[in-house]
Amino acid sequence: MTAQEVRLCGLLLQEHFGEVVEKVGTHLLKSGAQNLRTIIHETGLSVDLVKKSLCVLVQHGATTFSSGRKGPGSPTEYHTSCDRILRILRYPRYIYTAKTLYGDTGELIIEELLQRGHTTMSSTVKTVADRLTQNMAEGRTMDYTEVSLTFSKLVETHFLQRCPPLPGVGNKDSSAPSETPATPGTPAAPVNTAPPTPESFPECYKVPSVTLIGRGKRQLASEDGEEQRSAKRAKMDPETHGDEGIYWQVNFERFHLHFRDQTIISAVANKLDQTSSEIVRTMLRMSEVTTSPMATCTKPLSANEIFRSLPPSYNILRPILDQYLTLLVDDPMEFVGKAGESGGGMFVVNLHRALANLARATLESVVQERFGSRSARIFRLLLRKRHLEQKQVEDFAMIPAKEAKDMLYTLLSQNLVQLQEIPKTPDYAPSRTFYLYTVNQLPTARMLLQNCYKTVANLIERRLFETKESKRLLEKSQRIEAILASLQASGAEPEQLTEVEEMITAPEKQQLDTLRLHINKLDSAENQVDETIFLLESYINSTNASS
Amino acid sequence: MLPVAWDTEGPQRVLAVSHNISSQANKVRAPRRQETLEMAEVKVKKETNLSDPAEVENRIKELCQQFPHGITDQVIQNDMPHLEPQQRAMAINKLLSLGQLDLLRNSAGLLYRLKDSQSTSKMKGSDNQEKLVYQIIEDAGNKGIWSRDIRFKSNLPLTEINKILKNLESKKLIKAVKSVAASKKKVYMLYNLQPDRSVTGGAWYSDQDFESEFVEVLNQQCFKFLQSKAEAARDSKQSPMVQRNSSFATSHEVWKYICELGISKVDLSMDDIETILNTLIYDGKVEMTVIAAKEGTVGSVDGQMKLYRGVNAIIQPTGLVKTPCGLCPVFDDCHEGGEISPSTCIYMSEWLDF
Repeated sequence: MTAQEVRLCGLLLQEHFGEVVEKVGTHLLKSGAQNLRTIIHETGLSVDLVKKSLCVLVQHGATTFSSGRKGPGSPTEYHTSCDRILRILRYPRYIYTAKTLYGDTGELIIEELLQRGHTTMSSTVKTVADRLTQNMAEGRTMDYTEVSLTFSKLVETHFLQRCPPLPGVGNKDSSAPSETPATPGTPAAPVNTAPPTPESFPECYKVPSVTLIGRGKRQLASEDGEEQRSAKRAKMDPETHGDEGIYWQVNFERFHLHFRDQTIISAVANKLDQTSSEIVRTMLRMSEVTTSPMATCTKPLSANEIFRSLPPSYNILRPILDQYLTLLVDDPMEFVGKAGESGGGMFVVNLHRALANLARATLESVVQERFGSRSARIFRLLLRKRHLEQKQVEDFAMIPAKEAKDMLYTLLSQNLVQLQEIPKTPDYAPSRTFYLYTVNQLPTARMLLQNCYKTVANLIERRLFETKESKRLLEKSQRIEAILASLQASGAEPEQLTEVEEMITAPEKQQLDTLRLHINKLDSAENQVDETIFLLESYINSTNASS
Repeated sequence: MLPVAWDTEGPQRVLAVSHNISSQANKVRAPRRQETLEMAEVKVKKETNLSDPAEVENRIKELCQQFPHGITDQVIQNDMPHLEPQQRAMAINKLLSLGQLDLLRNSAGLLYRLKDSQSTSKMKGSDNQEKLVYQIIEDAGNKGIWSRDIRFKSNLPLTEINKILKNLESKKLIKAVKSVAASKKKVYMLYNLQPDRSVTGGAWYSDQDFESEFVEVLNQQCFKFLQSKAEAARDSKQSPMVQRNSSFATSHEVWKYICELGISKVDLSMDDIETILNTLIYDGKVEMTVIAAKEGTVGSVDGQMKLYRGVNAIIQPTGLVKTPCGLCPVFDDCHEGGEISPSTCIYMSEWLDF
């Protein structure tokens, strides 16, 4: 939990849940696991507020609770980790992915679940159906079964998972780690004290048999107040649908695997050509559910299988496919490796190596944009050759000595390049020591990751600042919009409308436009930096797993 | 033991310094001049079965002419068996000091060789110290030798060395060449010799200056060549294996292309081109593979050939650098509430208004 991460988490919590939750959240982040009394005491908030904030945090999976340090009898302690909170930054990307894969229905389902944290299937289906019906043409409504179908598909591909039952409630469900939907009845292994992951429950991906018959309700204008109330509060539905107590959450890991696959595919497309990327896409799709998230490479796939699973639009002949596979294996980037000869050749996708290459390309691109292409040349040279003296750097990179020295020292001061001393004599006399320049990929990646966090926090703060600056203007425009809407609804004449519209002067309108532009730019920049964050985080996690 | 100047070609030359010769393998003693005179007097008093010293010298010179590769002491002894070792030594010494004979050492022992008259004429008028320094410099060949090394080898004091060097330079016998490695260092070599590559820096240096523009131009030309080759291969729409293989270019092909372009005033060797191609690899624009090639195919070195191919980057510039913070020079000083903060950042304002 670095300072930058805590700052960013604070900003995200504040934006999404408000100041009170932010206060409690950041306090927990900074001080580790604490019980309720301590939190109340140290944050100075009232018991009610703290309880509610903790509820919100637990609902969204940001906080977990467990029995206290002193044993089962002591008060429960609440523990927050910043990973989950930093995911909030990535919500737009999740929603967009769901949209591309499962259409509008999928998009809305994921959006609902992200907003609510944990919900049951039935409530989600109903809400989504209602929302879809609203946007549809007059007279058409969305059937619940369609939405349930999409929901089941999402569960089948593991994008959604059940929330693990609370400790102490569902003892019969403990452990037997398997993520495939298995029949309940697997023998219970001894309970371990670590917080159970959702996937350690056999029914993680089992869709409950839910009786959901009905259609979405269209929100009519007269039912404004009622619908709003029911949308905001978790209204107790008189009908039960057979899935009480089964709550679902978004499986972030699965989305991350998907993003990782996408990045690898686009890298292959950039480096080689479209057909090779299609082949890699097929291979990754076939190994989606059979590969564990932390695997170094996918399970070996034979060339025959790949040939059969290629999308029908690509009529590649078998020998051509073999050639492509050979080319992929020979490529220095080593995205694909050969694991055997049976079945026409067994091929794997080297995930960890691909991630390392992508992280390296990220580092190189940062150096290039920040310091220029010659410094990037020196950086790449050091990455390849590991340790070099200053004279050797000048010779290999073919840069005049003075400039090379300057660039090396700049990179050194920014900590992108490190100096290794090798003494010839026991006293480290400078004239008798070798000084070698080197680049360590992993520590540099970590440093850049922290820089990314700081950057995102800066962007958010700037956005808040811009909004605050123009607060008066925004409020005025909102008021006018509200007046316009009410006038239109009550059927006013065009002159009245134009009169109201003219209340905003032209320069103010321009100001509003620039403000909108700025905020959009800052928003999209946040998403772009988040892509870098994702790459670097995946790379660092992959090295953690293998070490 | 006096220092000996080593020459790597052929038998090694031993210097006769002033009046002393150092010899290890041979039993020829090094008599001093005074002793020689004494000896001569003694000899004169002795039985004149022995030849006149001048006669001896002439004989030795004739022998040298007979054997241009050099004669050992043994040969002289065989020729004039009645000659005593001291007389022999004296004669040889005299010839050496006159600069008419060269003393060399090879694995068998000491060799005496007739020096060409041309070089002897050059050194007329110079005394022995200068001759010594001249010989040291000559031995250094085209790599040149530093003044401190001359001092070590000749054991002369620094002031003497400097005087002699100035003298020789004014006589246009030697020249000073600035070394590219250490710009303050000057190496001396014979006047008419071409300095070696390691001193001048080779093709990339002209007059001690690194030619960056030249390197840049070569860089771009090579890259364009490889890129066009790769594109031609991609457009040819053949099977992927053929496509990839045709997008490769051997270092020999690139070298030929550059030579034909004629943008270089100096002749570039294949090694030079390979260093340029390596910089392209470090730029991330080109990748290299090595394949085994039969000896004798054009361009193969030690049974291998290096193939180069233009490539594209695997990712677009990363998201972090699309924001002003990614490129900000004062990134570390920026925090909310400080003088440099996100709210007041001028880079951000510029970027937002772009």
